Amino acid sequence: MHEAKAIDVAWSTAADIAAAVAAGRSTAASIVAAALARIRERGPQFNAFTVVTEERALARARALDEARARRDALPPLAGVPFAVKNLFDIAGLTTLAGAKINRDAPPAKRDATIIRRLEAAGAVLVGALNMGEYAYDFTGENMHYGPSHNPHDLKRMTGGSSGGSAAAVAGGLVPLALGSDTNGSIRVPASLSGLFGLKPTFGRLSRARTFPFVASLDHTGPLARTTRDLTLAYDAMQGYDPDDPVCAERPAEPVVALLDRGVEDLRVAVAGGYFKGRSAEVVSAVDRVAAALGANREIEIPEAERARAAAFVITASEGGSLHLPRLRTRARDFDPAVRDRLIAGAMVPASLVMKAQKFRRWYRGEVLKLFAEVDAIVAPATPCTAPLIGQQTFMFGDTELPVRANLGIYTQPISFIGLPVAAVPVPLEPLAMGVQIIAAPWREDIVLRIAHALEMKGVVAAPRPEI
Amino acid sequence: MKRRSNTARKARPPARSASSAKRGKPDAIDALVTASAQALALPIDPAWRGGVRFNLQLLLMVAGRVDEFPLPDDAEPAPVFHA
Repeated sequence: MHEAKAIDVAWSTAADIAAAVAAGRSTAASIVAAALARIRERGPQFNAFTVVTEERALARARALDEARARRDALPPLAGVPFAVKNLFDIAGLTTLAGAKINRDAPPAKRDATIIRRLEAAGAVLVGALNMGEYAYDFTGENMHYGPSHNPHDLKRMTGGSSGGSAAAVAGGLVPLALGSDTNGSIRVPASLSGLFGLKPTFGRLSRARTFPFVASLDHTGPLARTTRDLTLAYDAMQGYDPDDPVCAERPAEPVVALLDRGVEDLRVAVAGGYFKGRSAEVVSAVDRVAAALGANREIEIPEAERARAAAFVITASEGGSLHLPRLRTRARDFDPAVRDRLIAGAMVPASLVMKAQKFRRWYRGEVLKLFAEVDAIVAPATPCTAPLIGQQTFMFGDTELPVRANLGIYTQPISFIGLPVAAVPVPLEPLAMGVQIIAAPWREDIVLRIAHALEMKGVVAAPRPEI
Repeated sequence: MKRRSNTARKARPPARSASSAKRGKPDAIDALVTASAQALALPIDPAWRGGVRFNLQLLLMVAGRVDEFPLPDDAEPAPVFHA
């Protein structure tokens, strides 16, 4: 264990951990043992983990240390502990997807593709994380497994549905976690928990062997405390996967070597209209980012409100269709709030859903025209900082809105057409506020370069909680 | 903003359709919940019928915002199947 003391496993970056292991300053086994000890000690406060894969993690770490002893070249994330939202298949474990019903499902036979890819890059899986039931959630609350707690204020929401992912990374349990994002489920918890989150282009990262929600809109992606860690994970997970019909047949396009290129050559605008902030925190966060990027231009994303409406309809309908067998036989085992929305979604006439899909293509065409004029668009990530757990409404300007349905008000119109987004945390007091950096499809390099530049300028940072 | 073809404009009634206005009426929602539950073989406990009804009414109202947007007949839906 003494090697691990050379590095603070809780708050070190993934990049620093991997460098320490590669240089022999730490062993993977000591890093993983320290992470597991911290998960045992601190994990219950955040209710982040639903299972800890201790035996598997220690075996994997030993294998990495043996590879180093043989003088094998170590992969870029060697010894980095990571955990995954519990909708990712982990071989030998039941994939809960935040649901009571799924406890009765058989164990998964194989790991999700992107778990395999992260492990191939040397990262070490340490467990599965809490989430909103079947990912139909923006809060991080869960009536079956309890809410994830925000490490910056345990009384507050993490945001969801990747709530455990946010709690684990923000609370220093792991430097890296995987989440999924259908309408905002990576970007909302990144914003409320003060983290960096990447929702890549639709089809960029494999979704194979993850429990689905909305096939038309589901994405996977990482959360981390630095842009570099986000990028290292993203690079490791890229590449075509025939097991996911949506995964694009594109070669991997690594970004980490591009992070320090600067952003002087990039044209950045701020989203106006629908995306204009209606609270002091939102305005302040967007203004700080815009000022640091010299983004003086405002741009209108056309029909964003209608795009959100169409995303809402497609989500409910596809979700309702997916869960119809369970709604017929086990309706009482759902969270009532999730159940009623799914049943209603199953009843939406197909003609209206098809219209939403047609509108989606029209909207995509209009938004892509904007990228002839700008390289990136800045927009808020959430309409407020982290609400209290159980809080039902928040003020949106002069209007009181339900929390549960509206935390994704700014994220839904963007993921609706699969644009890549980095959510970056502006460290406001007392709570951070996320901002979305949005680019044209397949330009994750741009959003990550901007996120990194903002981080280097000190404008964005993942605050360390006082715990 | 250029968003509609001439064909689409001519094909649409000038104002929001009567069917769209009727869609959100309580009796229409109740009838749709009942009929859909039967058609889908989906039992609805009376205790949660109100929640389903509320959500369906909200969904139809939101879907109406999309439905009222004029698109040309040849507008392709977003998902494209590749054989």
